[in-house]
Amino acid sequence: MFGSLKIAMVAILITGIAGAGIYVMKLRSDNAILKANQIKLESAVADQKQLIENQKKDFEEILDANNKMNVLVTALKNDLDDLDKRFNKKNRDIGKLAIQKPKPIERIINKGSANATRCIEIASGAELTENEKNATKKSEINPECPSIANPKYVAY
Amino acid sequence: MLILSTLLTNCSSVKKLSIFKQEVPRAELNLDKPTALQLEQIKWIIITSENADEVFEKMKEQGIDPVLFGLNDKDFQLIAKNFAQIRNQLKITNDLLDKYKEYYETPVKKKQQ
Repeated sequence: MFGSLKIAMVAILITGIAGAGIYVMKLRSDNAILKANQIKLESAVADQKQLIENQKKDFEEILDANNKMNVLVTALKNDLDDLDKRFNKKNRDIGKLAIQKPKPIERIINKGSANATRCIEIASGAELTENEKNATKKSEINPECPSIANPKYVAY
Repeated sequence: MLILSTLLTNCSSVKKLSIFKQEVPRAELNLDKPTALQLEQIKWIIITSENADEVFEKMKEQGIDPVLFGLNDKDFQLIAKNFAQIRNQLKITNDLLDKYKEYYETPVKKKQQ
């Protein structure tokens, strides 16, 4: 009677210890998985942060490019308006002026034409010369397109 | 028997299959920008009813055919404005191309700096 009870007790004890051991091993295994998950999550969060940061930089770049293009379009429109004004300034009639003074007007027209030709070269991607880059006075600039030919010039 | 089966099942291991994706960036287009224009200078001649003979004489003296392709003053203004518009469009298109190149062809790492 006592013999079989002892055996049963020992069996329960051994089973208990084995169960506890298995449970501890499972906890360890779970712990290792959780640690690995934690590392993966941290890495994913870092990736996401980097992605958001990149997107932010891209948006800033897009905004900046848009602003620069708008500034350029406005400046070029001003150059065009200025050309119109020069032809008709104070009710000026270039035809009548040419009849009165053909030679001086011819000189002015040819100078303007050379300047306009240079503007097209610059617009197509030609490098600016040092004189063009450093021009700040009205007498130094290309009056046909100061916005693209003379970056340092501020209209006065 | 039990020990043998335990040994056989526990010691054998199946390697985990790992599948990974690697993003390969699209090759850059990297076309060279067109060469900037180098234009020829043209010479305008103003001709009026009074100086016409003188102008034609001078042309003959210089060995130039005494013929002129004319514009009146209004059309001259129009051609000047047309060229100014073409120039503006050229500049805008060129700058737009630069911006696209800068945006899409600058490496991401360089952008992050």
